[in-house]
Amino acid sequence: MSAEQQLDICVNTQTPLLLFPPVTGSEGVPSRPPESARLEQLEEGVDYTFSPGGVTRMVYPLIRRLHEDQLIGQAHWVSLNPFGPREVRTPAFTLHNVAIAPERLAAYGNVKETIWGTVHGLRRDAPESADLFWSDDFSEYAYYNRLTAEKIRALDATYDFDVFYIHDFQQLAIGDMLGTLKPKLYRWHIPFAAKEIPPAWRSAMTAYLNSYDAVVVSTDRYQAQLEEFGYTGRIVKLYPFVDETEYTMPPADEVAATCARFGVRPEDRLVVVVGRMDPMKGQDRPIRALAKLAGAHPDVRLLLVGNGSFSGSKAGLGLSKAAQWRAELERLAVELGIGDRVLFSGHVSQRDLDACYERAEFTLLSSIQEGFGLVVVESWIHGKPAIVSKRAGVAELVKHRKNALLYDPEDVEALADQMALLLADPRGLGQRLAEGGAVAMRKCTIEAAARAESLLLEEVVNG
Amino acid sequence: MLLPPLSFWLPFIYFAVILAITWAAGRLAGLLLGRGVGQTMPQVSAAAGRVGTVVVWLVGGTFAIQELGVSPYVLLLVILLIGLAAVVALREPLQNIGARYFSDIYTPFKLGDTVKVAGYSGKVIEINPITTVLLSDDDALLSIPNSTFIREVVTNTSPQAWREVNVPFSVGANTDLARLESDLRKSLGKLRSHLDPRFPPVIVTRSRSAQSTELTLTVLIRRPEERDAVTAEVGKRVAELVQQTQSPRR
Repeated sequence: MSAEQQLDICVNTQTPLLLFPPVTGSEGVPSRPPESARLEQLEEGVDYTFSPGGVTRMVYPLIRRLHEDQLIGQAHWVSLNPFGPREVRTPAFTLHNVAIAPERLAAYGNVKETIWGTVHGLRRDAPESADLFWSDDFSEYAYYNRLTAEKIRALDATYDFDVFYIHDFQQLAIGDMLGTLKPKLYRWHIPFAAKEIPPAWRSAMTAYLNSYDAVVVSTDRYQAQLEEFGYTGRIVKLYPFVDETEYTMPPADEVAATCARFGVRPEDRLVVVVGRMDPMKGQDRPIRALAKLAGAHPDVRLLLVGNGSFSGSKAGLGLSKAAQWRAELERLAVELGIGDRVLFSGHVSQRDLDACYERAEFTLLSSIQEGFGLVVVESWIHGKPAIVSKRAGVAELVKHRKNALLYDPEDVEALADQMALLLADPRGLGQRLAEGGAVAMRKCTIEAAARAESLLLEEVVNG
Repeated sequence: MLLPPLSFWLPFIYFAVILAITWAAGRLAGLLLGRGVGQTMPQVSAAAGRVGTVVVWLVGGTFAIQELGVSPYVLLLVILLIGLAAVVALREPLQNIGARYFSDIYTPFKLGDTVKVAGYSGKVIEINPITTVLLSDDDALLSIPNSTFIREVVTNTSPQAWREVNVPFSVGANTDLARLESDLRKSLGKLRSHLDPRFPPVIVTRSRSAQSTELTLTVLIRRPEERDAVTAEVGKRVAELVQQTQSPRR
């Protein structure tokens, strides 16, 4: 691939880049969205919002960057989006939304939650059979995959893509369904631990994965696990990444005003946990750890930033578990006698998020399992030290006590100890970790990613 | 200028009417035969339809030509002679095409399988109307006439080849494939006690044209002795759903 030979690419993610609120007509009946729109005609915050999570943080900047660098020509991006126009054109790419009926959506949601929970090792009743793949609900998962594959195929008939880039487990079956000899790349975003995948699922999942020419994973550990699992194609490890230029450093008065809205007082020493409200994010651990430190550190407060994901939001799939988990966390904090020291911001804008990072003394990634954990990289961008769960993919970048502190998310005592260490020595240890983080984060920049991804695309296209 | 009397035109009118009726009957026969046979074997559906249509045209054409005063025996003789000449001249290719056709229905192997036949062995890398191409262990291409696969004993040495049941089928280009995929999976779920649960059904798109999409459904059976019964039942379900999905009522 040379600069003159730009690649035409079709990207597929379940989560759409833009969320559109459900529009109802005068009698409360859902209105039919327009067929097509231009992004510049729409107003952020009014007509749409950016989806929370990796799609906006990673996929969007990557496509933009590859387009700016003239490495890709035509780019089309297909997602599941129950609301909004069927097509949104931007200068760099065109978004295409597919929608499925609510009853199919619910069944699809059940399957994806089952796969997600199982792969993350969160289900106590891990499936012993392959019943899932024969269930009526799985038929709807296949329905969504086939619908998306057909949309991609129809676009391919018009645009003759060079490569297809399919993202995440929700779209696993699409490789087979595309029925094309053109190269198909698949990015597995969630953790990959062969032992967590039930033996009865192995044949089906291997077959689905083997329909792709290459699979991208986020860490060396996932790469080794995928090899052991039986995937026969090419496996590439690429660290997730962010675009540093998307982050701002708001001035001190704005930071104070923003945090005051969330209940943070000027005298508080603030610990920030960024992540959607989900049991997998393990926010109960830092609450329990704070309770242990409460007596020794009466000025420490915990701010939990985030709400639901695309799946949980009303503008998304409406499969909310966020409200339930938040209520559980609030109850836990009250039970432990620290109800007034645990703060919840809900969903925040990027600007507010930047303010929270700026205000934090340190951040904490508490996930029980985590595909990667870009919030640690964000913390490093803001020059803040981080305490990181050993079970997050990003732990692979962490050198304990050099650029972050590691802990086992099942060991609340250990977490409290790490928090105490940082609270005791913010200028010494805290500063060293922040400096180490600034070095480690260079592996997760958009520049590094654009280089690696364009090389990968070139290799996949050229065979 | 005087036009010829009606009696002059009558044979031509009858000829045209018989041809029109033949056309309609041919369409109907093709449709009914295609659907009837397709209930059990979707692969045979199109061929059965074509055979029905040809038979109706032969009969209708014979009656029509009789109206023009031409002896039907002349027509039949001409067809017979042309057919005979074609069979003699194209004996070998026709055997191979016929064998290819039957192997499509009663296929003991598919692309990618490793087979042994008539002293040759290799991986099947191409099946065309005339030959099947094998890639031998020493990287040689072996082009085996398809008729060999009917005459000779074929051994498929691919692991678990006996388990695999492939059902090729065709749908109209405008068919809602997502709905068909979902309905097929639900339907096959009812046969799961006879199918290998570790391998859920796979429906692969083989080719597309402006008129149709060619797909193949693959399932794996549990018990070898049930292969025939399961193949028939899976084929029946595919045919029924294809028909339903393409029905204008739904």
